[in-house]
Amino acid sequence: MSIYVMRRLLLAIPVLLLSSLVVFGLMRVMPGDALTALMAESGNVSPRELQKLRKDLKLDLPYHEQYLHWVWQMVTFNPGRSVFTGDAISTSLKKSIPVTIELAAMAIVFGVALAIPLGVLSATRQDKLSDYIGRLVAISGLSFPDFWLGTLIITFAAIWFSWMPPLGYTSLWESPWRNLQQFVLPAAVLGLRLSAATMRMTRSTLLEVLREDYVRTAWAKGLGERLIIYKHALKNALIPVVTIVGGQLGTLLAGTVIVETIFALPGMGRLTVEAILFRDYPVVQTNVMLVAGTLVTLNLLVDLTYAWLDPRIRYQ
Amino acid sequence: MSNSDRAQKATRQAIKRRDFLKRAGWGSVGVTGILVGVSRSPALAHPPSPHPSWTPPSDKPPKRGGILTRASAWDPPVLDPRLTNSVGLFQMATLAYSRLLRYPYSDDAKNNTDLTLKGDLAESWEGSADFKTWTFKLRQGVKWHNVPPLKGRELVADDIKYCYEAYAKEGVQSFTFQEIDGMETPDKYTIRIHLKTPNTMFLENVAEPVAVIFPREVLEEDGDLKQRMIGTGPFIMKEHERKVKVVLTRNPDYFEKGFPYIDEYRILSTPDAATRLAAFRTGQSDILGLQSLADVETLRKTNPKAVVQEVTTVLAPFGLTLSQDKPPFNDVRVRRAMSMAIDRQKHVDTLYEGHAILGWGVPYFYWQDELPSASDLGPYWQYRPEEAKKLLAEAGYPNGFATTLFYYEYFPQMTSQIQLVQQDLKRNLNIELQITKNDYTTYFGRYADGKWEGTAWGFQTGYAVSRDERTYQYVHSKSPKNYFRVNDPVIDELATKLRQTPDRAEQQALTKKLVEREHDQVLRMWMPFDAGFTIWQPHLRNIGQLDLRGNFGYGAPTLARLWLDK
Repeated sequence: MSIYVMRRLLLAIPVLLLSSLVVFGLMRVMPGDALTALMAESGNVSPRELQKLRKDLKLDLPYHEQYLHWVWQMVTFNPGRSVFTGDAISTSLKKSIPVTIELAAMAIVFGVALAIPLGVLSATRQDKLSDYIGRLVAISGLSFPDFWLGTLIITFAAIWFSWMPPLGYTSLWESPWRNLQQFVLPAAVLGLRLSAATMRMTRSTLLEVLREDYVRTAWAKGLGERLIIYKHALKNALIPVVTIVGGQLGTLLAGTVIVETIFALPGMGRLTVEAILFRDYPVVQTNVMLVAGTLVTLNLLVDLTYAWLDPRIRYQ
Repeated sequence: MSNSDRAQKATRQAIKRRDFLKRAGWGSVGVTGILVGVSRSPALAHPPSPHPSWTPPSDKPPKRGGILTRASAWDPPVLDPRLTNSVGLFQMATLAYSRLLRYPYSDDAKNNTDLTLKGDLAESWEGSADFKTWTFKLRQGVKWHNVPPLKGRELVADDIKYCYEAYAKEGVQSFTFQEIDGMETPDKYTIRIHLKTPNTMFLENVAEPVAVIFPREVLEEDGDLKQRMIGTGPFIMKEHERKVKVVLTRNPDYFEKGFPYIDEYRILSTPDAATRLAAFRTGQSDILGLQSLADVETLRKTNPKAVVQEVTTVLAPFGLTLSQDKPPFNDVRVRRAMSMAIDRQKHVDTLYEGHAILGWGVPYFYWQDELPSASDLGPYWQYRPEEAKKLLAEAGYPNGFATTLFYYEYFPQMTSQIQLVQQDLKRNLNIELQITKNDYTTYFGRYADGKWEGTAWGFQTGYAVSRDERTYQYVHSKSPKNYFRVNDPVIDELATKLRQTPDRAEQQALTKKLVEREHDQVLRMWMPFDAGFTIWQPHLRNIGQLDLRGNFGYGAPTLARLWLDK
């Protein structure tokens, strides 16, 4: 097992290097830079002054030097400063990562809590009313876009109940109640979307497992329904579900920008998208590498979870 | 008279004025129709709305204390005023810093167009006979915020000199301050500024909301102004958490004794428009900007006591920009034909629900007293497709031509507006417009570079109040802000002469000539626009919206006079 983990970690190096080259290259291909975004609208800056400022920010260096400088910063865990705001990137990340992790975790919990029972209900009551209702919920979750659902919830909560989540982010440690109010709706919006795919996967894999010989044997032995479904069938049916949930967690780290924008949460999504729009190279590059690293780690963890769920799986 | 009485009176007055305008407008429509043979009657340039365009200050005794909160769309990109003119910064920087001069606040303005200059850090000022030297006497006893490293040190004339030199050295204000030839500080409270060329409007430039005075100590210690904001203004920055909030607290040592009235002003970063609306509805935000009349009426169903003021649209910030230094756009006949082929009234009727101006670039009150009617804008602003076709044929393009347009979508209607222009140009002149939508940085990178071909959806910046900025700096061929690539000797001459003309009436006349020349030559093809409405909670006082400044963006300084009646 440890050899397998080591091999996977070593394989992550070329993956991360390739990711770094892609993100570095793509950012340079896009027209304009942070100074353009910052100053162009003002219209007062001469090309000579822009050149001077670019030099100050080392934006005039040849690309390979910029790349090597940045890789060194990443290796030494010193991502530097935003060229747009001047803030230390590590400080920005320290503020935005907890927001996104909390949002992602709550969304996953909400999604799984909705999806697994619904999936089980749909599979065990196939083609009955409860199955249709479960599938309808899943299709709705897939069909309703985040921006639509989020906007609808926030607007109608304000109109009908004169309420909306308190504006301005409050950390969990500062005020758990206020924090919960701020996170519950965005997590529910994200969770509903996540639950759709999870619920459909749970249903289909459980249906498949329920037709396996060992389950038939369990029925023949006279075991109770609950024991058969939850102890024998569900555990095996969850392997593809875990893959999906693991992937969703990775996606959430950078894919919550719309919900973060609607609910005014200062997470990784807003930080990254703003940095892309303003060509804030160091911030984009660092965030993308962070997400890439997290995805690699999550994939590894998901693979390791398979072995726990299905003892027949062994890694060498 | 109570505030609401005054507001009602203002409404009545506004309606009277609008009634007059309406009659005058329709009268001019008739005359224009006869004169130019228009195929349909052009509508009034700015139809009325049921909301007043000015809210007078309260006559009740002000109350001290309370917290003002606003859900804001804008996050400051950086805190350094040398590096950006972004409204995201100046919604707060104008409250923490001061300027030498200022425009009236909501409680000392006669009306929404009052642009009488008042002293901010300066208590008096005078210009030399040749308008090349300006002397400012500073208020004595003005203290920087009582935080390290300033710790309440007194502001002196050397601070102004240092600050203006820093602006001239680098950054977005360098063009304005490089106009300064030299500065003297004969004593602690006097600064004498020598200009390279005469400029009667220099005072307006130092009153611009972006011309804030920052301290030498912070720049010298930090190397920039990106991390700290310490000034002499009515509020002290207590907290700045990017993408979350800005908290400004009352400056107890502010040089205007007794101000500000409120204890704290919280700006909450809220990028989504629906969330800002919900925040206002639930009382989490005290001020809101809305674009359309329909949105205002919907809001008033849940918040009937909300106070609404129509923002008078004094200029259009967007228009079709042509690479007019290159064929075919260097031919005035092509520009005129294109302008006449665009049905601007359709934009007003369909995109702006009938509430928008047809489009002009210089604030109207710098060249005439009343909002311009359609006929004031000249024949090339009228929709005359047949004449446009003839003119384009005369220019050598009877079968039209193909060109490109790139833009950044500032607001959703903009895309529809550009598509309407595309349709009109195709239908009436067979001009094929290939449209590219860019993201913010790509757009500015290309647009500011000024070397693009074809056309772009151009803009003029939002912060500028002064006549100098809106005329000379935007249209003179040598100005770096001349994004529309205007290169017209008559315009250059008029803009330069304007800078040397002290008399207001003469300034008005010269500006009118400049605008007429601009419209005649179609140097900037402005498109319809509406500034929308400002809405606030009913307990806010002294919050009237001022033209060109507003009351929470670049016009935020007026919040020093706001008080909460609850």
